[in-house]
Amino acid sequence: MKRPRRILGLVPASGYDALDEQRAKAEARAGKLAQQLEEYKANSRVWKNKAEDALGELRKAQEATATAQKQLRQTEKQRDEHWKNAQKLKEDSEKLRRLQQERAAELLDLKQRLADSERDLVVAREQLMAIEVKLDILEGAANVLDGRTRELVTRRSGLGTESGTAV
Amino acid sequence: MMSGGAGPAPYLTIIATGRNDDFGGDFNGRFFRALHFNHQQLVAAGITHEFVFVEWRPIDRRPLLASLLADEFAEVSSLSLRSFVVDPAYHDALSLNPRLQFQEFIAKNVGIRRARGEFVLTTNTDIYFSRGVIARLKEAALKSGVLYRAPRHDLKSALDVSDIGWDVLEDERNCEVVNAIRPPLFTNASGDFLLLDRQTSQQLRGFNEIYRVAKIHIDGNFCVKAYASDIPIVDIGAPVYHVGRGTLHAMRSMYNASPGDAPWGDIRWKSDVVYDNGDGWGLGLAPEREIDRGTTFLAFDWHAVGPMVDLRGVVSPGVRQERAL
Repeated sequence: MKRPRRILGLVPASGYDALDEQRAKAEARAGKLAQQLEEYKANSRVWKNKAEDALGELRKAQEATATAQKQLRQTEKQRDEHWKNAQKLKEDSEKLRRLQQERAAELLDLKQRLADSERDLVVAREQLMAIEVKLDILEGAANVLDGRTRELVTRRSGLGTESGTAV
Repeated sequence: MMSGGAGPAPYLTIIATGRNDDFGGDFNGRFFRALHFNHQQLVAAGITHEFVFVEWRPIDRRPLLASLLADEFAEVSSLSLRSFVVDPAYHDALSLNPRLQFQEFIAKNVGIRRARGEFVLTTNTDIYFSRGVIARLKEAALKSGVLYRAPRHDLKSALDVSDIGWDVLEDERNCEVVNAIRPPLFTNASGDFLLLDRQTSQQLRGFNEIYRVAKIHIDGNFCVKAYASDIPIVDIGAPVYHVGRGTLHAMRSMYNASPGDAPWGDIRWKSDVVYDNGDGWGLGLAPEREIDRGTTFLAFDWHAVGPMVDLRGVVSPGVRQERAL
């Protein structure tokens, strides 16, 4: 029976009320839905903002990561360089140590040679001194013998030195 | 009191040399005054001693200073005051420098060689002993093998020395110059005080007789010889006195331009060399004859004269050390 009424557009009062009630409910629901929609829209904006923020953060994080990676690479590069430098310094240090040892040995040798030279110099000076003294003696003896010879020759020849003819 | 008679050897032999030539002015007076003073102090301290005077190259036709000395000290035993007069021919025979008129240190060697004392002091004729020197001698604690030196204090030449005593000698106002001595050699007027035991003095064979070209610094050269022979040299701790600065000081500036012409030889000679005198050092082979009480004449004999040149007698200290090794 109901179908035919519907077909005719006839609705019983109870139906009408029910329908009205349904309509009211629907309107309420629609209002609620609209409110929810508004809330969802608001939430959506919030989330969008959050998403944007997150995206921003992500970008920042990505940038930071990129920067960090870059820094890491730089650091690794620096570390490599430092390691290389350290190796080089170690090698240099080893080289210097060897040089220092060689220098120390050379210094010791030089000191010994200096001491030897100083000793030789003292001996040489003393010997030179002795030679000078010997030369003094020889010169003195030569002069004395010369004087004696002149005197002897003068006496034998009977010539005076004042005549300028002696010796 | 000087040691007398044929008794035991005295503790000290004092050796000086000179001749009657008035060297430096009033030579004999200065000599006798100092000798009287020293003798009195030694006697008062009970130090047995003999005085050995060597008259080198005595001057012809002048009284021997040895004779004048014997007269001045007539009361002293001939064994305590002994003089040796050296034939002047030795001076000429040994000369290596005609400018030197007096071979002072060969003369002193004559005395060292003939010394009898346990210790031998070579000094000069006008040196006064200080109270401290007398005290050290009185202790009789001198060590053998040690060369003792004393600084010479030169007193003002204008001092009245007619009656000289400790008061005058020790008065600081009278002191003009202190000839300081310093280790290791303690030279500086060393000819005025060289005190060493007789045995070591004779082992060293006295002063340098090899280098006879100069007489200056021969005294310091003896210190070099002693030092090179490992003989410690020490300051006896008391001075000796001399009136005036000495003839060397007075005349030195005259030869600044030509040091080689100085009557004491060239002051620049290398006096750090060491020498080895020959066996006949101190005219050890000279014939001796007594000519007066306590006076012996050393007659000339070529055998007593060493070679004119003995270059092996000149050695450097280094060479000596190498030889010892």
